[in-house]
Amino acid sequence: MFEIISNTVAAFFTLSIFSFLYKDNPFYKFAEALFVGVSMGFAIPLVYENAFIPFVYTPIFLGHKFSLIIPSLLGLLYTFRFSKNLSWLSRYPIVFGMGIVGMGVPMSIHSSVLVQMRSAMLPLDTVNTALIFIGTVTILLYFFFSKDHKGVYGKFTNVGVWFMMIGFGASFGYTVMARISLLIGRIQFLVGDWLGFIK
Amino acid sequence: MNGKIIAFFDKMQKLDRRYIYLMVALSIIIPLVIPFNSPTFTSETTENIYRKIDSFAGDPTKAVLLSFSHDASTMPELFPMEVSVLRHCFERNVRIFTICWSPAAAPLMEHAINTAKENYDVTSGVDYVNFGYKPNSLFLPIVLGMGEDISEAIDTDSQGRKIKNLDIMKEIKNYDDMNLVIDFSGGGAALSWVTYARAKFGVNVAAGITAVMVADYYPYLQTGQLIGMFRGLKGAAEYEKMVDVFASYETDEYPNGRPFSKEVIKNVKVPITKSTIIYIEDGVEFDTGIPLNYKYKVARIGMNAQSVAHIMIIVFIILGNIGFFLTRKKDNL
Repeated sequence: MFEIISNTVAAFFTLSIFSFLYKDNPFYKFAEALFVGVSMGFAIPLVYENAFIPFVYTPIFLGHKFSLIIPSLLGLLYTFRFSKNLSWLSRYPIVFGMGIVGMGVPMSIHSSVLVQMRSAMLPLDTVNTALIFIGTVTILLYFFFSKDHKGVYGKFTNVGVWFMMIGFGASFGYTVMARISLLIGRIQFLVGDWLGFIK
Repeated sequence: MNGKIIAFFDKMQKLDRRYIYLMVALSIIIPLVIPFNSPTFTSETTENIYRKIDSFAGDPTKAVLLSFSHDASTMPELFPMEVSVLRHCFERNVRIFTICWSPAAAPLMEHAINTAKENYDVTSGVDYVNFGYKPNSLFLPIVLGMGEDISEAIDTDSQGRKIKNLDIMKEIKNYDDMNLVIDFSGGGAALSWVTYARAKFGVNVAAGITAVMVADYYPYLQTGQLIGMFRGLKGAAEYEKMVDVFASYETDEYPNGRPFSKEVIKNVKVPITKSTIIYIEDGVEFDTGIPLNYKYKVARIGMNAQSVAHIMIIVFIILGNIGFFLTRKKDNL
C-alpha cells in the first residue's frame, strides 16, 4: 500500500514537471518550489546523520579523539560568511581546501598533460595516430591568436575548426542520448512502476 | 507539385513544438510497453571491463571496488550498469567492495546491492562488503591509504563492523589485491581515481558514466589510463547481454559460467521479450530455463526506446533542414 501511495505522489510530481512542456502552470510552479524545499530539508538531516554523527560527534565525544576538534572548529569558521565584519574568518577553511587541491596538481599534470602528450607523439603508422596528429596541431594553431587566420595559415586553422566541429557533434550526440535516457528512466517509472504496463 | 512541397515544409517550420514533444514521448512509451528484440552489439570498451572482472572469478585474493559517485538524478543510466556488474560478480564469485562519497549516494548503493543479490546466495562480509558513505573530504586519505592497507584506511563498514575482522579481508590487503576500481558517476569523479590511485599505485580504473560525459573521458581511454568505460545506457545494455551470455551460462562443461569469447558474443542473441534466458545461435534456440527478470534487461528495453527516439530526432533534423533550405530559397526568389 505504501508503495502505491509513494509511487502515485512521485508520478503526480513527475507529471507536474512535465506539464511545463505544454505551458507554464501552477502545478509546475508548485512542484518546482516543493523540490527546492524538500531538497534542502532532506540534505540537512542526511548530512547530520551520515557526516556529523559518525565523523564528528562519535569520534570526539565517544571515541575521545580530541584532535578532531581542530578541523571541526576550522570547518565552523565557514559560518562566518554570514557576518559582515568577521566574514574574513571563512577564508581559512577555504585556504585549507585550496592547499589540498594544490597537492593534486603534480598528479593531475601527469595524468591530464604528460600521459596525453606522450600518446599524441606516437609514430604516424596508422590512420588514427595520423588523425590525432593533424587534429592536435591544427587545433593548437587555431588557438594561436597572435597571427591573422588568413592565407595558408588560415587553411590550416580551418582544418582545426572542422576537427572541433566533429568533436562538438560527437559531444552533442552523446548529450542527446543522455537526455533521452533520463526521459526513458522517468517513463519507465510512470508506465512500469506506477501503472504496471511494463512486465 | 513544387508549391505543395514548399507549403508542406512551410507548415512544418511553423509546427507547434508541443507536437514534437508528444511524438518523442510516444516514440519512447510505445517501445517500452511493447518491447521488441533488437540486436545489442558489444564494444571493446565494455568488453574490457567484463574480461577484467572475469579474470578474478573464484579467486579469493582478488576483488573489485565499486565507487558510487552520483545521486538519484543519473540513476536511469547508471543503475542498470551497477546492477549488471554486481550480478556478474555474484554469478562468478568475485569479491566486491562498495563505497560512496556523498550522503545521497548511500541509499542508492544499498538499493543496487539489494536489487542484484535477491537471486543469489551471498553474504555481507564474506562475498562483498559495503564500506558505506565516506565524506568527500576524506577521499584523498582513503584512496592513498588503501594503497598501503585497506583496513587501516577504512575503519568500519556501513554496518559499523571492523573491516579487518571480516572474512573477506583475510586475503585482501591493498590495491595489489583489489586491483580494479569502477567509478559510477555523472561527472569527472573517475578521473580522480586515475589521477591518484592509477598514477601512484597502478590500479586498473574503469568508468561507468552518463553519455553526456563520454567525450570528456575518451582521451583517458585512448591513453590507457582507463581500462574500459560504460557509455551511458548503451554500455549498461551491452553488459547486461554479456552477463546473460557468459556469466549466467550453466552446463556440465561450464557449471559456473563460460569464458568470454568475441565469436560467441557476436553470434548469440538473447531475446528480451522472453521471461527466461534463451540463446539463439545460428537460428538454433536453447532455453536455459533461467529467469530473465525485468531488472536484468531494463537497459536493453530502454535502448529499444532510445533507438526509436534517435531515429525520430534524425528524421526531424533532416525535415527541419530541408524545410529551412526550401523556405530560404523561396524567400530569395
